[in-house]
Amino acid sequence: MSRQPDFRSEPRGARRTAWQGAWLGAGALALAFAAYQALGARAEARAAETRLAGVTREVAALASRQAALAARAKAGSEPLAAQEAPPARIVADVATVLPADARLDRLAIDYERGGALELLVVARDAAAWDLLLERLERSPRIRDVEPGPEARAAEVRSVVRARWSPAP
Amino acid sequence: MVVARLGTRIYLAIDAASVAAAEVSHGVKTARLRTLAREPLPAGALLPGPTGPNLADPQAVQAALGRVLDRVGRGRVTLVLPDGLARLLLVEAPAGVEPREFVRFRLGASLPWPADETSVDTLAAGAGRVIGAAIGRASVAEYEQAARAAGAQVEQVFLAPLVALSGLLRPGAGEAVHAVLGDVAVCLAFLRDGALAGLRSRRRDRSDGEAGRLADEMQRLSAAAGNGHAGVTLAFSGSDAARLRADLGVPSPASGGPPDGDEAGWLGGLLR
Repeated sequence: MSRQPDFRSEPRGARRTAWQGAWLGAGALALAFAAYQALGARAEARAAETRLAGVTREVAALASRQAALAARAKAGSEPLAAQEAPPARIVADVATVLPADARLDRLAIDYERGGALELLVVARDAAAWDLLLERLERSPRIRDVEPGPEARAAEVRSVVRARWSPAP
Repeated sequence: MVVARLGTRIYLAIDAASVAAAEVSHGVKTARLRTLAREPLPAGALLPGPTGPNLADPQAVQAALGRVLDRVGRGRVTLVLPDGLARLLLVEAPAGVEPREFVRFRLGASLPWPADETSVDTLAAGAGRVIGAAIGRASVAEYEQAARAAGAQVEQVFLAPLVALSGLLRPGAGEAVHAVLGDVAVCLAFLRDGALAGLRSRRRDRSDGEAGRLADEMQRLSAAAGNGHAGVTLAFSGSDAARLRADLGVPSPASGGPPDGDEAGWLGGLLR
């Protein structure tokens, strides 16, 4: 049927043809799809922001750790003068913290590496070993205590690395 | 342009002898009649005419409309006005002139109602021509009011002869003179090569010999429209078409088409 003349007496709005209706429907679909995509993109952006915040925190933590390590490396690389750290004073400090059930077999002092100490220690048992480590860590002039591998079958024999510093 | 208003629509047609409601399913290229309800009107209840009140007995018309709507359902309807209300004209608008304005110009002086109370519209008739129709707004409002009072929501208002002609105007249609019959008026249309070559519209004279008079006028129409041979096919549809065909010995339409009742004219236009 061809388009029919419409003689309705009341004023009317523009009537949509089927094609106009189809275009309107397609537009509505496109709008809905765009809204769906926008919502998805927004959620993705929020997730990316969260990830970015996490990475930023991690970078800050790593930077601070790097700074600490650099300071420590700097401090460790500076040589220590023998006048301000005589071997007798260092030995005395180590002897002060040595428990009765532990003996010091060897002590090496590296002045070129800022007073790095290497202690070969033999403890009668694990309790004496633990007490030695505790005392070393609490000693005001001995720092950066790093216990080496230990065997606790009977006596404990191990190497402890540390640094001696003149200022407490 | 092909109308593709898909879905089921209700058409409410009013004429002098009866009212009818048709529920039609429109597909992309098809239309199917689902329900047809018809109610006769008391004689003289409705007098279709271009001027003056048409509804002589509004209560009777509303009651009949209400009964047919009961059978197809109330709601938004397309009102189909009867033949006899409008002035029809077949014209070819000059280039650059809007066809509707040209029809308004051609019909303006001869209308029996004020020009500013006229609705004018056109229907493409093929070969660069249009059928122009002019109708008084007061007449339309009278029918709309009756339909609303019966519970219908009028969405569109069509003219029965134009709906019928739009169904006849299709590519490949055979050459013929069609009489589209309303209860009080008839529209004669000469179709050739799928276009409308001639058009006449006048009130009916139902006295004895109507079939012969109509046949003569249909022959004259085809001759005036340039038909070189006398063997043109005559076709009748609408109110009382079966009787007129029988009087003239014209064969009935093939079965399987639209219902051959009083509403066959406009309903055929919807279903073709």
